[in-house]
Amino acid sequence: MTRAVLAAALLAVVTAVLADDFLLRFLAEILLLGIAVMSLDLLIGFGGLVSLGHAALFGGAAYAAAIAARAWGGDVLLMLGAGIATGTLLAAAMGVVILRSGQLFLLILTLLTGQMVWEVAFHWRDVTGGADGLRGLPALSFGPWALPGAQPLFLLAVLLAILAWLVARSYVAAPIGRALVGTREQPIRMSALGYSLFAVRFRALLLAGAIAGAAGALYPFVNLYVGPQSVHWTQSAAMVIMLVIGGIGSLWGGFLGAAVYLGIQTYLSAWTDRWQLCVGLVFVLTVLLLPNGIAGGMRRWRGGAE
Amino acid sequence: MRITRRLALAGLPAVALPRAALAQPRPLRIGMITSLSGPFTALGESMRAGMRLLLVQSGERFADRPVELIVEDDQARPDDGVRKARKLIEQDRVDLLCGVIHSGVALALRDVVTEAQKPTFILGSANDLARKAASPYVLRPTKTNWMLGSSAARRAYETQSGARVVTAASDYAAGREYVGDFVTTYQGLGGRIGRQFWTPLGTADFGPLLTAIAAERPDSVYVFFAGSDAVRFLRQWKEYRLAGRIRLTGTGACFDQEDVLPAVGDAPLGAINTFHQSPTAPASAAFVEAYRATGKPLPGEFSTTGYVCGQVLRAAVERSNGDPTGNWAQTRQALFDAPIDTAFGSMPFDPRNGQAILDIHVNEVNAGAPGQPLVNTVVHTYPQLRDPGPNA
Repeated sequence: MTRAVLAAALLAVVTAVLADDFLLRFLAEILLLGIAVMSLDLLIGFGGLVSLGHAALFGGAAYAAAIAARAWGGDVLLMLGAGIATGTLLAAAMGVVILRSGQLFLLILTLLTGQMVWEVAFHWRDVTGGADGLRGLPALSFGPWALPGAQPLFLLAVLLAILAWLVARSYVAAPIGRALVGTREQPIRMSALGYSLFAVRFRALLLAGAIAGAAGALYPFVNLYVGPQSVHWTQSAAMVIMLVIGGIGSLWGGFLGAAVYLGIQTYLSAWTDRWQLCVGLVFVLTVLLLPNGIAGGMRRWRGGAE
Repeated sequence: MRITRRLALAGLPAVALPRAALAQPRPLRIGMITSLSGPFTALGESMRAGMRLLLVQSGERFADRPVELIVEDDQARPDDGVRKARKLIEQDRVDLLCGVIHSGVALALRDVVTEAQKPTFILGSANDLARKAASPYVLRPTKTNWMLGSSAARRAYETQSGARVVTAASDYAAGREYVGDFVTTYQGLGGRIGRQFWTPLGTADFGPLLTAIAAERPDSVYVFFAGSDAVRFLRQWKEYRLAGRIRLTGTGACFDQEDVLPAVGDAPLGAINTFHQSPTAPASAAFVEAYRATGKPLPGEFSTTGYVCGQVLRAAVERSNGDPTGNWAQTRQALFDAPIDTAFGSMPFDPRNGQAILDIHVNEVNAGAPGQPLVNTVVHTYPQLRDPGPNA
């Protein structure tokens, strides 16, 4: 595992030196969205809680960071603090509402609570800029050092992705993570064993909110802009699609899914106006041929080769 | 010195290459950002068609330099627009950038192109780009929202000064500015304004809005919707039987000749709008004919704007002897020095902010030929309107 992390870090440094500005920002966007999708995987893949409100946590944190940056400057620690706090708080508020229900009702309730965040972002023009969003953000900084341009942003995104992956990995391996899988597989037996379903799921939601919030905190700095689209439910749906393409239940599948989705959107759309059709086709093919997504397919392929 | 064969061979490219370079100069790459999905799909396709027509007419060359056009979709979303602009600048290495419909995308692009020092011809009409967000790298060969909003108010006051007007508009940068400028100007002249209604961009059901307007019983309503929102609004305007009962005025985008009127039947018959484009304006006659010859209907705002943008780009290349980016400040100055002849009429630029100065037409939506869609007919023109600019 340490080797994998070191290899990833080395690869990141080499990329940061070689790649151009656009590619670095694009990769940073993939990584940040990938982190958010990975945190969504904790809920969907491990907890069986299908959420259509995850963009509210991610985008809410992005707004908090953008507002804080405009007021006090773009210190990385301040950004991450604002983002993680907002993500966790929104997740807590959402959890109180949604976790009493399950299945379809949970889906609808996450959609509704997420859209409430969108309503606030869309209509509170004085603070969020309404439909026009917020722009004119200062550059990122760390203490007295300014971190302008794409390279520091990319390296920060890599660092954050590795940290988030380590946290999520140790969480799903720990007893509390196993208990989450238990609540998905055998909820009645879990409550008979003395677990509180609400407490186990609530903690998973808080962690997912914190991780998504951390990623959201850096997101405005990718395009120096944040708008209401980033909290809209269609963004949540896009995250679910990324997760399905990448592989539900695999922590790094989220990154693959984000890369495929954003790759299609960015590169294919120069050739055809119907890039959304391609996303749909990839989605259908994934569901039919690779039920565990690209990550599952790669694992199976590697297993077969050995 | 003896001239060996090797030396002669070494010298050959030095003589031959510049010749070849003269014969075939490096193509000029133009990146266009427009909306090919989302609520402005039809407008974006028109913009591309207008630009393509001009390229075909110019033989795909400006000032003898071949031109390549790369078109990217922004989905009418600022974050996607910014990502596409970065791709065009850094990966496709375009020389010039143009396009944009959504005012929010236009504003979001401003910082990116200014930082990258990339000459950009923006076709989105946010007021701020002519004011505090003006940039030495941004030129705008189209209207500002103020030009349409304030001229609509002037016209409304000149023709029906006592009327009480309510407003209804899409809730984003453009809508806020059109309505804001309309209200300020109309009240400044002494007119009466009623309630103001807002709906999100991409609204499907205007029922609640229309019943609220009906309950207000205004003399007139000033509207701004664009693209598919305009089509749905006007259709429902008729379904709710408000057509003919309340006087309908608005920005030209809501009654676009090409992308709105053919889809809405006779719902907006008699509506008044202010616009920098009209198929009946004399300046656009040649373009209208050429555009129809390609099998298209009467052109609307964005096909004309795409064409005009091409004309301005061509002027920029011609006035810089084929190299507009070598010394951008000089090229920019050359564009300011003399007006450019475009399908919007003679177009001078305001040197303070790179904003075009335009004739604004008052169009009345009249019946067309039998079986044909309604036609925007010019009934009045405010000549050479200039945005207040940085002093506003």
